[in-house]
Amino acid sequence: MQRPVVSIEDVVVTYRSKRRRTALTSVQGMSLEVGAGEFVGLVGESGSGKSTLANAVLRLLTGGGEVDRGRVSFNGEDLLMLSEESLRTVRWRDIAVVLQSSMNALNPVATIRTQFRDVIRAHRRSSWSEQQVDADVSRLLSLVKIDPKYASAYPHELSGGMKQRVAIALALVLGPRLVIMDEPTTGLDVIIEHEILSDLRDLQRERGFAVLLISHDLGTVLEVADRVVVAYAGRIVEDRPAKALLNNPLHPYTRALLDCYADPGADQVRITYIPGQPPNMAALPPGCPFWPRCAEAEEKCQQGPVPPLTRLDGGGLVACHHAGAGTREGADPNLGRSGAVYVKSRANASASHHPVITVTGVYKTYRRNRLPLVALNDVSLTLPRGTVTALVGGSGSGKSTLARLITGMERPDRGTIRFDGRDIPRLGRRGLHAYRQHVQMVFQDPFAALNPMNTVGYTLLRPFVNYGRLSSTEAFKRVRQLLEQVGLTPADAFVGKRTSELSGGQAQRVVVAKALAVNPDVLVADEPISMLDVSIRAGILRLLDDLRAQRGFTLLYITHDLLSARLLADQVIVLHRGEIVEQGLAADVIQSPQHEYTRLLLRSIPNPRRRTLAAESKVSP
Amino acid sequence: MRYLIKRLAFLAFTLWLAVTLNFLIPRLMPGNPAQIMVQKLVGEGPVNPQLVRAVGIMLGLPRGTLWHQYVLYMHNLLHGNFGVSYTYFPYPVMSVVAQALPWTLILLGTTTIITFILGTSLGALAASRRGTWFDTTATITANFTATFPFFWTALMALYILGFVLHWFPQSGGYNAAMMPQWSSAFVISAVYHSILPALVIVLTGTGGWLFGMRNNMIHVLGEDYVRLATAKGLPRREIALAYGARNAILPNLTGFAMSLGTLVGGSILVETVFSYPGMGYLLFNAVGNSDYPLMQTIFLFITIGTLVANFIADILYGVLDPRTRRGGVSA
Repeated sequence: MQRPVVSIEDVVVTYRSKRRRTALTSVQGMSLEVGAGEFVGLVGESGSGKSTLANAVLRLLTGGGEVDRGRVSFNGEDLLMLSEESLRTVRWRDIAVVLQSSMNALNPVATIRTQFRDVIRAHRRSSWSEQQVDADVSRLLSLVKIDPKYASAYPHELSGGMKQRVAIALALVLGPRLVIMDEPTTGLDVIIEHEILSDLRDLQRERGFAVLLISHDLGTVLEVADRVVVAYAGRIVEDRPAKALLNNPLHPYTRALLDCYADPGADQVRITYIPGQPPNMAALPPGCPFWPRCAEAEEKCQQGPVPPLTRLDGGGLVACHHAGAGTREGADPNLGRSGAVYVKSRANASASHHPVITVTGVYKTYRRNRLPLVALNDVSLTLPRGTVTALVGGSGSGKSTLARLITGMERPDRGTIRFDGRDIPRLGRRGLHAYRQHVQMVFQDPFAALNPMNTVGYTLLRPFVNYGRLSSTEAFKRVRQLLEQVGLTPADAFVGKRTSELSGGQAQRVVVAKALAVNPDVLVADEPISMLDVSIRAGILRLLDDLRAQRGFTLLYITHDLLSARLLADQVIVLHRGEIVEQGLAADVIQSPQHEYTRLLLRSIPNPRRRTLAAESKVSP
Repeated sequence: MRYLIKRLAFLAFTLWLAVTLNFLIPRLMPGNPAQIMVQKLVGEGPVNPQLVRAVGIMLGLPRGTLWHQYVLYMHNLLHGNFGVSYTYFPYPVMSVVAQALPWTLILLGTTTIITFILGTSLGALAASRRGTWFDTTATITANFTATFPFFWTALMALYILGFVLHWFPQSGGYNAAMMPQWSSAFVISAVYHSILPALVIVLTGTGGWLFGMRNNMIHVLGEDYVRLATAKGLPRREIALAYGARNAILPNLTGFAMSLGTLVGGSILVETVFSYPGMGYLLFNAVGNSDYPLMQTIFLFITIGTLVANFIADILYGVLDPRTRRGGVSA
């Protein structure tokens, strides 16, 4: 490795709350170097401490976080010890950041140009004339493929992807040696995410700055990074060149993460999920923090001490008692698959021809700033009873609009939606109330869908009260049954919990349980796994699949992700700009896509086995 | 521009609506002021209907159809003719109001602006130094002063500073021995008389603005763009002002414009406690004496003031917050 730009040595960060007298050590001694011009990916689930570490580098910790120990060496100095004024000059000039959710990273009351200017002014580049600054802003904006005329726009006038690109351009304005990117593309459309990362990789190579890319998505990181660092429970568990890590992952956690990805176009798609929950930093077990979820755990792992991060003979670092044994190539492919395996092959697509919902010739147009925005343009489809239909499309494709029309939350401008002989858009209030007993919905963000003040028990009792007219003992019995069906066992441990105390995966299971409480005929799930940690996504997919098999409801699964569509669905419908561009059996559509847009979606799925961006071949957008 | 025209049209419409309601509501109320006046004069005995009619004509009670009255009312309104005050008979309402308005505008206008600036700056300072001794002292003091009822603070100030120590006069807007005029002696007397009420208003009013600003600002300082500004290496002062305060003040501005609008009606509490010759004092007297023309006019002034203030707030918001503007490059 080249001489490091920045070297993080054994950093420990603790969040302390004076009021609640709590202390949570979320980074428990992480060491990491980034070489000059190197592209490093830092991967971890929620609770891994990856964002905290990134914020600690430039001392941007909020919420009571403090660095207890460690060094961040830059240019022979310890950034953690610098005076506020000296640190201020290092910030942005040498090390710039792109924050998580750049949606909100730009000052809403200042134009884009102003936000470039104030950083130039703050670093006393006063020799730059106004024209020079303007020219530079235009150049940087073109570099990230934004029309320079947007320099005089305000942030709210840009789309999410454009804001992200502006944030990247802003990071490059002073020509830094390192850019730290914290989940820079989370929340963006897959195609746009893919384009931005691809452009970023080109820019980085061209201009030679180093990147520390922080992400929850190993697939994305493996595609762009030279070296990958995997974090778990506030520690680094593996740190190796991307190619070596992909071909021969050593830590059981890395291996399990990799098994969450597969090629959706294969004849037999198989993914695994990691049992248990992402680490709860307030209650870590003794020993290796990963052992409760690890298939290879032995007594040594459970009792500790925590396995140290050890340098390997072949290069790279790993923290596992078993990893020193050498390579595992050619070993049993099932070894190390710590969770249940989810396999879908071509054959198990079922077919039914009795439609439960028929959508015919539906149009929907919204008005935004006086401009018509066509959300759906002559869409017709049928949902066959007892099957899973995946509705696939990028953001703005109209897929969520269609979900709102089918569930009766909105009415189409034109067209019919038939369920059991009734036309849904024509139903009145009472009709809709009755209809919702048959059609239920699961949303993307489980925490937004649940009232944080209510207990799980109360949340699940509500549908029984609204629709069931059951006695309270009977209703409570049903609630317990439901909790067990969605895998929240023992049920009694969850009934009294507030929904805000649940983890993301548990909360989404409660949302599913709530939707199933009225025993619906149709379940509409709008991106139910996209907010969840990668390691538990397959678990939720599996749950939906099992529940459907048991209860025989029809599932409309809305997603941007063709891999999960392949795993779950019998039928796939691809929506693009409000029109259906392709539909057919899941395996057919994904294995031999006919429409260019479907192909683009397929290419944009993070797939570690492909490594398109880091390799020489470049995908044209 | 389109925004401005739209707001202006809305202002014109609401003004017309308010004026019309101001015309209709008193006419829907039961009771006849002339009858009441005569009844008061004769006591318990029978009322002479002719006398009632004569008094009615003297007071200028409306006659003719409702439509005719409405046209006449609008005509008078446009010419600033609001009729004759019953209390200050035979002075026209307009001249009574014209005498009281400047007192209120100067006292309340100045103190509202001072209160807002003081509260907002202290709030911003407290938020950017959250948890320090300054923040703690400011919030505790503000809590203390803002929760005391105004009249209590005012009476205590009057008693201690006026009655016991004789530092300030206890009532009035100027020395009663002088005639209102533009002489230096009179202006000094007026300023001297206004210090005590102004002090009490600022003391009790600042807390509200301080809390509002502090809470907004703490919220804004937690936003990603402020964290990014720190990462950009901007100086602390610039982050606090251009990123923090600049965004945090927006919700407070609406409240400020609204309070400027309502001050036209004066503050009944302030002006009665200090016997200050402003609009509030006038309104208080008008209500006490069933002086309908005067009341109606003051209400009209309050309505117009509120509407105009709202209009200014809207325009100001449009200027200061680009998100409320329509269009732009992308359109």
